[in-house]
Amino acid sequence: MELQDDFYNVPQYIETASGNKVSRQSVLCGSQNIVINGKTIVMSGCVIRGDLANVRIGRHCIISKRAVIRPAFKKFSKGVAFFPLHIGDHVLIEEDSIVNAAQVGSYVHIGKNCVIGRRSVLKDCCAIADNTILPPETVVPPFTVYSGSPGKVSGDLPDCTQDLMTDITVSYYQHFKPHGKGK
Amino acid sequence: MATYMDVNLVKYLCSCGKKFPICRLYLCKHCLKPRCIDCVQHEVDTPYCPNCLETMPTGEAKLKKNRCSNCFDCPVCGHTLMTRATTHTTPNPEDPTKVITKKMYYMACGFCRWTTRDVNLPDQSVATGNWPELENPNSKRISTLLDNYRAMAQIEKAERERKKYVKRRSHLYLQEKYGLPSSAMKRKGLSSLASLSQKDGDKVLGELEPSATVDSFEPLPNDFFTQPAALDKTTKLPNRLNVPEFQPEETGKLHIIHKHLLMRKSLRCKECEHNLIKADFNPVSIKFKIQLTALNHVPELRILNPCTFTYNKESVVTLTLSNPSVFNTTVTLAAIENETDTDYCTGKIDLPKKELVLAGRDEPSMHVYDDSSQAHLDFKDDPKVIAFRKANKIGFIVKVTPLVKEGDVRVCFLLKHEFRNTTVAALQSESKEPEIVWLEHKVYISLGQI
Repeated sequence: MELQDDFYNVPQYIETASGNKVSRQSVLCGSQNIVINGKTIVMSGCVIRGDLANVRIGRHCIISKRAVIRPAFKKFSKGVAFFPLHIGDHVLIEEDSIVNAAQVGSYVHIGKNCVIGRRSVLKDCCAIADNTILPPETVVPPFTVYSGSPGKVSGDLPDCTQDLMTDITVSYYQHFKPHGKGK
Repeated sequence: MATYMDVNLVKYLCSCGKKFPICRLYLCKHCLKPRCIDCVQHEVDTPYCPNCLETMPTGEAKLKKNRCSNCFDCPVCGHTLMTRATTHTTPNPEDPTKVITKKMYYMACGFCRWTTRDVNLPDQSVATGNWPELENPNSKRISTLLDNYRAMAQIEKAERERKKYVKRRSHLYLQEKYGLPSSAMKRKGLSSLASLSQKDGDKVLGELEPSATVDSFEPLPNDFFTQPAALDKTTKLPNRLNVPEFQPEETGKLHIIHKHLLMRKSLRCKECEHNLIKADFNPVSIKFKIQLTALNHVPELRILNPCTFTYNKESVVTLTLSNPSVFNTTVTLAAIENETDTDYCTGKIDLPKKELVLAGRDEPSMHVYDDSSQAHLDFKDDPKVIAFRKANKIGFIVKVTPLVKEGDVRVCFLLKHEFRNTTVAALQSESKEPEIVWLEHKVYISLGQI
């Protein structure tokens, strides 16, 4: 099935010159530390904690409603340190998920209602099923699906995941239309 | 997308007769047939640890029983254990007034909070941990059995070679099965004679003591009936089955488990033995040296939007076709004659009779979103058939009549498309133009419920 059109209210979203669409109802803390590379959608209710550490988000990402992006910390003998968080291109994060990872690669799909534990590393082309809890410091290798609590390998992704994820994020962006314009 | 969108609605028929979504199929460029995961030959390329992502050669992995030597799983919840550092102070033996501080390491689970201290494993002085290994109580028996099987394989092989019946392939499988040395394989021509004269095998067979039948079990000890059950100290069934060789019954006997390796594999067509998938050596890389997935060669068919159906009434359904090739591709659709899978179809489909021309895929212009393209004029599309045209994608109209009162509306048809075989042309290098062949695929679509 092709993706269906998803309409948004123009006054609720800010569209930047590079094509990012950021909801006015999202919370971007420390916005000087947040870099969003272009054509990325940040929906309402999202929280991106740039005040903790740098957050870099690639192109064509989708951060769905009420998702929380938060750089991870590690306790050291002298207090805590936050790690910068890098998210690659063509990443789809679905509703209500909390991402505490140290690194999220490209072409990654994170399902609804997931918790990605502190300092987890999600490599390129991997997927996290809905309602998964990844404990701290989990590594998700490419072409694997993690699910359950604690998240464990539960399947593999097709070899053409890169093309599939590119297609989905690009067409999601194309179908994310303002009310009253287009078809 | 395989996890985001329902890719199982449209399935293509593999050459082996199974239905798969297009993203799971491969197209062998030499046989020009679709292949699926069940009808190709799998080869282990690189075993790697899913936690530290370190690769090891296949032989070494076999020796280590396909487990990582540095990473451990929690015996309770199965999550990877983390190394924790603590400082340990001991009084200095030379000067009792001073203390020596030493860094000690133990393992802890970040999910269920189990630690190696829970089972009284002493802390280690090195971070990588020289953790004690448990000795499998049955290892001796297993190794004698393995030796025996190896000898058996040798005898079987000798017999087969004497008969000269069997194809070369089956020997490889047999040898792989019991881990015979590959050098024996190479010396095949000579070894057949040598192994005929070998009578060692019989000796080993004779030595093996057969396994004994268990007739009766000891009765359950009385404690089970008289003592209250200590459930907090008893392990759960999954905990025991994680380590089949020990099966600890008490939580105190749990031991850290070496992490299982995953593997990168390459796929090979069973008919022509050409590679279909060859992944990069590095397990972190998502690049492929060879990647013949069907999605890159066969036009992909999708349903545009959900439709409503009524029994015995024609409904209009829009399907989309996208062209993966850089050339314009012609597609024709036809009904399947002599359909064997008659149970599948629950609807009649009225297909466009004309050829459909798909524009070539132009990567740079893919991301430009432009509604005002004049493409539909260039192709002289019939608006009754072509609903829209966008870059390499078209939407076309079909009419579907459900033949069941309720349930899934499923249809199938034949999709024929042009295919420019660039690899063979490159190999032949006689003609510059890639050769055009027509490929046929049976497509099965589940359109939705009535």
